[in-house]
Amino acid sequence: MTAYVIRRLWQMIPTIAGVILLIFFLFNWVGGDPAQVLAGKISNPEQIANIRKQLGVDQPYWYQLWVFVQQVFTFDFGRSWSTNEEVSRILLTRVGPTLTIMIPVLIIETSLAVLFAIMVAYVRGSLTDRGIMITCTVAMSVSFLVYIIVFQWLFGFILGWFPVQGWSESFWKNLTTYAPLPIMLAVFVGLAPQLRLYRSFFLDEINQDYVRTARAKGLSEKKVMLKHVLRNALIPILTNIGISLPGIFVGSFLLEVFFSIPGLGREIITAVNRSDFPVIKAVTVYLAVITMIINLLVDVMYKYVDPRVSFK
Amino acid sequence: MSAVLTNPALPPVRESPGLWSLAWRRLRQDAVGMVSLVVVAIFIAMMAGSYFGLIAKDWNKEKGVSYANPSFLAGSENLEARSMGAKDAAAKAPPVDLSDVDPLAPRYKEWEERAAKIAVTETKRSEVLPFGGDKWGRDVLQKAIKGSEVSIFVGLSAALLATLIGTMLGAAAGYWGGWANDLLEWVYNVFTSIPYILLILAFAAVAATSGKFGKGILPIVLILSLTGWTGIYRLMRAEYIKHSNREYVKAAQAIGASNWSRMFGHILPNVSHVSLVQLSQHVVGFIKAEVILSFLGFGVPVDMVSWGTMLAEAQNELVIGKWWQLFAAGASMAILVTAFSLLTDSLRDALDPKLK
Amino acid sequence: MVLPTFQPLRIPRFFAVLVALLLILAAATADAQKKVLRIAFRTAETGFDPQRVFDRYSVGICENIFEPLLTYDYLARPARLVALTAEAIPEPDEGGTRYTFRIKPGIYFADDPVFKGRKRELVAKDFEYMVKRFRDPKNRSPYEWLFENKLIGLDELTEKAKKSGTFDYDAHVPGIEVRGKYVITFKLKEADYNFLYVMAMPNVVPMPREVVEAYAADTHAHPVGTGPFILKEWVRRSKIVLERNPYHRGYELETRYADPTDPWDRKVMDELRGKRLPALDRVEISPIEDEQPRYLAFLNKEHDILDETPFSFIHQVLPNGKLSKALEKEHMNVFPELQPEITYDVFNIDDKVLGGQENPVGGYSPERVALRRAMVLAHDRDQEIAIIRKNQALPAQTPVPPGVVGYDPALHSTEQDPDPARAKALLDMFGYVDRDGDGWREAPDGRPLVIQYKYNIGGQEARQLAELWAKSMKAVGIRLEATAVQFADLLNDKRVGNFEVAGSAWIADYPDAQNFLQLLYGPNTNQSNESRFRLAEYDRLYEKSLGFPDGEERNKLYREMNRLLLAYAPWRLGVHRIFNHLQYPWVKGYKKHPILYTNFKYLDIDVPAQQLASK
Repeated sequence: MTAYVIRRLWQMIPTIAGVILLIFFLFNWVGGDPAQVLAGKISNPEQIANIRKQLGVDQPYWYQLWVFVQQVFTFDFGRSWSTNEEVSRILLTRVGPTLTIMIPVLIIETSLAVLFAIMVAYVRGSLTDRGIMITCTVAMSVSFLVYIIVFQWLFGFILGWFPVQGWSESFWKNLTTYAPLPIMLAVFVGLAPQLRLYRSFFLDEINQDYVRTARAKGLSEKKVMLKHVLRNALIPILTNIGISLPGIFVGSFLLEVFFSIPGLGREIITAVNRSDFPVIKAVTVYLAVITMIINLLVDVMYKYVDPRVSFK
Repeated sequence: MSAVLTNPALPPVRESPGLWSLAWRRLRQDAVGMVSLVVVAIFIAMMAGSYFGLIAKDWNKEKGVSYANPSFLAGSENLEARSMGAKDAAAKAPPVDLSDVDPLAPRYKEWEERAAKIAVTETKRSEVLPFGGDKWGRDVLQKAIKGSEVSIFVGLSAALLATLIGTMLGAAAGYWGGWANDLLEWVYNVFTSIPYILLILAFAAVAATSGKFGKGILPIVLILSLTGWTGIYRLMRAEYIKHSNREYVKAAQAIGASNWSRMFGHILPNVSHVSLVQLSQHVVGFIKAEVILSFLGFGVPVDMVSWGTMLAEAQNELVIGKWWQLFAAGASMAILVTAFSLLTDSLRDALDPKLK
Repeated sequence: MVLPTFQPLRIPRFFAVLVALLLILAAATADAQKKVLRIAFRTAETGFDPQRVFDRYSVGICENIFEPLLTYDYLARPARLVALTAEAIPEPDEGGTRYTFRIKPGIYFADDPVFKGRKRELVAKDFEYMVKRFRDPKNRSPYEWLFENKLIGLDELTEKAKKSGTFDYDAHVPGIEVRGKYVITFKLKEADYNFLYVMAMPNVVPMPREVVEAYAADTHAHPVGTGPFILKEWVRRSKIVLERNPYHRGYELETRYADPTDPWDRKVMDELRGKRLPALDRVEISPIEDEQPRYLAFLNKEHDILDETPFSFIHQVLPNGKLSKALEKEHMNVFPELQPEITYDVFNIDDKVLGGQENPVGGYSPERVALRRAMVLAHDRDQEIAIIRKNQALPAQTPVPPGVVGYDPALHSTEQDPDPARAKALLDMFGYVDRDGDGWREAPDGRPLVIQYKYNIGGQEARQLAELWAKSMKAVGIRLEATAVQFADLLNDKRVGNFEVAGSAWIADYPDAQNFLQLLYGPNTNQSNESRFRLAEYDRLYEKSLGFPDGEERNKLYREMNRLLLAYAPWRLGVHRIFNHLQYPWVKGYKKHPILYTNFKYLDIDVPAQQLASK
């Protein structure tokens, strides 16, 4: 097992190298010139050249790449070019709001999805089942953008149940006042696909032989569902949660933009617009590392939970 | 005494039905699937009609006043249109004389004469349009039809391209194994480690900056397909690994079929149902992604319309009470995507009934 | 006689309790009486180091934390300079090349741990340090150009710094002379009658040297100024909180230049009479870039002022130019402002774009001038104003907006009014006809004519302007291709001439026409002259105008320059936008200033009314 983990960790290195190369190529090589954005209303070519020199982008590409690699290993990406804030500080302060939204979304969405999926699996094949599945499909076909526009207008403005936008310093205030509308929106939109997926997991289990055996033994349907099917279906469910974990760090940039939440998703968009390389590089590398580590943890956990799977 | 043995009458040999005809038969029995198929077919017909100019040809013409009301709301207040009429009629100072510095001055007289001869056609703008007008006074219904042509086209082409890429790469990785597999797995890992929006933004920024992605809708199609092939790749690779070790492939090798022929002549037909379902799912995904790209500003160019550009325009219209563009684009997209998704489900069920 | 015994313990205890209760009540109401202004900014800030920022909101915050030598009177219109930390506005000496400022004694910087508990007074040397900071290459100051080629000996110091890598702040610059504690003289290389405006800019303000050196890594977060507010809280791009500096000397409203017939002036004078300014205790600012959330938040009373009502909602706020019934019920105040700015389209006049390709719209020959003039005539400016600008704009007659010194209200031309017939006639006349029948006109030499228009990705407005261009040109048969470009790339493209047609805008740095006309001055190509317009006659007139202060002579020169612009059409002049600023009735003392970005110093809040409404 240790050998497996070590091997996986070792395999992360070429991936990180690939990520570095790809991002460097896309932004440093082909991307916009940040000096233009920082230069102000009136500036001549000398001033722009000076800005580029101060930022370090006038160096040859291989040198900039070398600097990038060094930054990855020291985890110090310097300061943002547009705000001069330390990049690590930017990331740390932005992750909080994103997680304040995404973790409740994950918890609520998963719980509801599992609950509804079991209920629907219980009545599989019936008209209710079909009807709910079609409703899910319809719900999924409306663009997230439309949901946000309508919900913000309806719940924030017309009904006034929640503030239209905003964020505060206090975690509690955020959780109780500013986060509910975005969370509700995200759950509403995310529930349908999760429900469909979990339903298919449950149905996979229900069609297995051991379920038929359990029923033959005389167990009630409820017991069959809750004691046997649920437990076994939890494996793919947990795997699915694990796969979606890296995504919660980025959050939903649409939500953050419309609700003025100072989170990581919005930060990424701003950084790309301003060609703020330090932030872009840092976000990409950190998220890539987190993704790979989470994937590794999920695989390890999966192998522990399902003894049939062997380490390869 | 000689007995003539006649062959007993054998039942006529029936060809065992192939995967596709079986699937079609199953699909026919699925009511929801058939309805979805019909809806999708209608949209495709609409798409063709719009492409060949049979319908929605004049979507760009400004037939109505600004934000013209839909016909079922005729008569409600339209402040935007009324304000357009109020022109600044203030008396101004006499225009300044440019004749001593103007390079065009020598031909002033000729210019005036020519201008007087040119007729100015003022088309009357209608107060009301079937489903309302947008800010320029264009018919929202026609925009929605034209928009579906563009959006479906973008979704289909991007999905086709992504499926092509994913299948080719998946086949290479699954069939060849070895270093090809390692290399492709590395590429896959790199692409999936980067957060999706960052990847899309990066490609979109490159497309805009370098201009090498082409013009028109080509940039969007390329952006979507170059970032969206990973899921297909994963599945196709798994399928190819599974099938490469099967008997029939070894048999093909025995009769001398080349690698190429084995990969695409033998295995591909057996896994095509997987890629078809993937294609279908990705059409839906890419149509939805196009909306987001348009919102961010990376959408289709200004002389075209798509559901994405309509929704991006409609962002601020709901608050001022002009809901029809948001509804038209949102609803038509919802109908098509629902139909397509249900069709995909039915297709998958029909092709692989064990999944039911 | 036995007197009734006075119970000595009870009364003091009673009073003690009473006093305690009163104190608590006072504290509670004092807190409740705190005057807090809540406002949203349209774009996010970058920081508050005055020599390193240029975006309007960062500079706007600096306006409140720092004090320049001069500023503008709050009420005077047109904008008028008054002294702030200087004792008086200096007269230009020696033909406009020498300016001597005397600083008022007794002005102190806000407290900071760097001062180790002592009060730090503002002195002349601080201004010398400030100018040097603008030219230090390490600061890459976006406003470096204010002091470039301006003061004697300063450019040389910057050159030395570029070579050596550090700026020598202790070196003596002949162009900056400090005498004693409070006197500083600036010696200019050439006459500049607008130099006083430079000294009134809100980011031409000093930071104490000790502070800059102590917080070298993050000067943006430690703005220490002499102004009436201090930076209390800052969560980058999320929240800015200013609080009143309790040790500030305070202001009183200057009414000398007020207009007694103007209802806003009267209102302001009434509301601020006798008050010590600033009246606000606290300002809470949140940047909200998207229009809908910002608008809805204001309507929900989450903010007290809506600066620049988004155009999309203008018809709901001001149907037919009058306040809507819903807002009237709230007793909302609306201040319409014609900002000293111009939005316009630039034609690249060079013969070739960067990269060597032919530029169809460039050149000074009658043929090319005709094409540009025709494009301007074909552009449907009426639709731009009505639909995109929602009637909140005035067509521009000259590059100079109204309200700015040197603006000529009598100058009017029809050459920029939409007239498709004249456009078509002009095109026909000069050989731009459709010979191959594909519906598009070709160039006179028969080659296909495709004109490229670049605009910014992301903004709906930019896209709509591009749509308008495309369809206006299509209506007269000109093929225009609109390309969306990244923000940074478009800035670059415009600077280096890698474009054919693009949109642009300019807002006054100071209220003088020169600030606008310099945009077409030949030598400013590669800087602010995006059009790359190099007409010898225009440049000659411009240089001549620099030697005159505002007056009849200069106005005559400006008129000639404007005529040349109308003839050669390096720009499509566009519009001056009108912005509507909304305030709830409990905001007092409001008058939007054309040059100053914020007016927090002059605002007051009726707290009970604000709290009542927020319930």
